[in-house]
Amino acid sequence: MAEAAIVAQGLQKHYGAYHALRDINLSIEAGETVVVCGPSGSGKSTLIRCMNGLEAFSEGQLNVLEYEVGDDLAQLSAIRKRVGMVFQHFNLFPHMTILENCVLPQVRSLGRGREEATEKARQQLARMKIDMHAEKFPDQISGGQKQRVALARSLCLDPEVMLFDEPTSALDPEMIAEVLDVMRDLAREDMTIVCVTHEMGFAKAVADRVVFMAEGQIIEVAPPETIFTAAKSQIARDFFSSVQS
Amino acid sequence: MTDVVTPSEHLPPPQNTWGEWIWKSFFGSVSNTLFTLAFGAFVVWVLSSVAGWMVLDAVWRVEDRDLCGHGAGACWAVIEDRWRLIFFGLYPYEEQWRSSIACLALALTIVLSCVPKFWSVRRLPVLWLAGFSVFVALMRGGFAELTLVTTEQWGGLSLTLFIFASVFLIGMPLAVVFALARRSSFPVIAKGMGVFIDVVRSLPLLAILFSAAVVIPILVPDWLQSSKLARVIVAFAVFFAAYQAEIIRAGLQSLSEGQEEAALSLGMPYWSVILDILMPQAFRNTLPSTINQAVITFKETSIVTVIGFFEIMASGRAVIGTDEWGAQFVEIYVFLGLVYFVFVFGLSRYGAWLEKRMRVGHG
Ligand SMILES: Nc1ncnc2c1ncn2[C@@H]1O[C@H](COP(=O)(O)OP(=O)(O)OP(=O)(O)O)[C@@H](O)[C@H]1O
Ligand SMILES: [Mg+2]
Repeated sequence: MAEAAIVAQGLQKHYGAYHALRDINLSIEAGETVVVCGPSGSGKSTLIRCMNGLEAFSEGQLNVLEYEVGDDLAQLSAIRKRVGMVFQHFNLFPHMTILENCVLPQVRSLGRGREEATEKARQQLARMKIDMHAEKFPDQISGGQKQRVALARSLCLDPEVMLFDEPTSALDPEMIAEVLDVMRDLAREDMTIVCVTHEMGFAKAVADRVVFMAEGQIIEVAPPETIFTAAKSQIARDFFSSVQS
Repeated sequence: MTDVVTPSEHLPPPQNTWGEWIWKSFFGSVSNTLFTLAFGAFVVWVLSSVAGWMVLDAVWRVEDRDLCGHGAGACWAVIEDRWRLIFFGLYPYEEQWRSSIACLALALTIVLSCVPKFWSVRRLPVLWLAGFSVFVALMRGGFAELTLVTTEQWGGLSLTLFIFASVFLIGMPLAVVFALARRSSFPVIAKGMGVFIDVVRSLPLLAILFSAAVVIPILVPDWLQSSKLARVIVAFAVFFAAYQAEIIRAGLQSLSEGQEEAALSLGMPYWSVILDILMPQAFRNTLPSTINQAVITFKETSIVTVIGFFEIMASGRAVIGTDEWGAQFVEIYVFLGLVYFVFVFGLSRYGAWLEKRMRVGHG
């Protein structure tokens, strides 16, 4: 039995009066690939953003790797150095070249030398098949290319866990595949992956488990083939039949 | 995601109709033609009389000064006679070479720090330290063969440049700190800074400088006393920072939240998120306002006259104050205007160039 990379126990989150996360209990093993889905507003982003401390929760306990997520800034920055995140809107730094986008975080976060960081960056960009654009600025490349740069930028830090929040939903259909392809390769390695997505094909191909959320709660957790065809709850069955058709 | 503010562009009419368009709008109808001719004549008349006054009919040499006023044009003889007073103020006559070298050194420092090659955390401080040291050492003297000249005797263009450069240099980092405090997650700091900025902005600059020059020495113990010029510059810098902080804050607000989140989730330390990611973009997005603020500050330096400093405006007025050249006030003001114009116009053009450069490839 592999050890757990992420453990949430009794997680609660309130936005003022709004109850965004209700008693979340979830354990994700190291090396596992977990896809999170559910209707809009169900708290998927909130949950995944709690995992690297971008969002604070109100109650409960959340452990990531050997750290506890909380107010302790030193712990948070230790987590963020080992947990990468890819966003829906890429969030590349527009005032830097693609290469510098990948080099600077290594220098600032890990204290790597520029030379080593540059080598690493080129290597990751090549792996994402985007190295020929290294000297360009983010505004000069397509959405799919931007997302692959964002992924390379994260991978440069050698993370053990990757969080994805709808990485393909801001992309044109023809670019979705190129991003999913590289994510699929990643999932086959021993990286721990938590991915919010509605790409059911991707989930079927690589997910060990699918987490279905609604109204701030985890309704069901099951392997993809089970949950897509034989979900226990009516709400999950309705959801999956609507996204798969 | 980028939220770069691009100025709205007025599209010119299509190329092939340019000539047609000009012809139509200037000579399209009888009234248009009449107006064009009348206005054209007016422009020619204004230009020729300005040129006549400023150049053709002007009196240039002090020897010819008797010609001044008798139907002749501008009497530039006053400048030849008194340029030293205008440029150096009350600085001792025999030592004025020091003031001119100091002035050049400072101008060079300012120009060099506008060159992107010098924009690094290591080069800029070295450049500024060198520039200001040379300036102060030369102006003040008091070592080797150089006699001591206290700041009360500094004056003219050197003083104007020195005040502007110091205010900008102290004020800019201060503005960054103010802007960050303003968006601090501690409500006490954020609110406190907000109130402070609003108070500073609601006070007239004159009142602030006057307090720094006159009131503080009464309140502060002797051992904390600094020169009047230093106090005035610091007070001016705080005033500048209050305005510039709001500009920077607007720049920060124009960025998408994702920028900060991405940097944080890459484990970058707070200072780096601010200095490497947010500030460069905030500055880029607010460059026109920042240049505007710099221009205003340059022109406002003349206000220090009121508290007894002899910067270039005051020196110019001192020339008019004498019986000898009292009649030449127009010439003096035109000349001062030209000096200001050179600096302010240079600053504006630099701003335009910078904006264009920063847009290249990543707008
Ligand atoms: N900063 C905020 N303040 C108040 N309410 C918020 C805030 N952020 C999110 N919410 C609310 O919390 C709920 C969960 O939001 P969340 O972004 O996690 O949903 P989601 O499942 O990711 O939805 P989507 O599929 O649309 O991205 C939503 O109802 C949203 O309105
Ligand atoms: Mg979401």
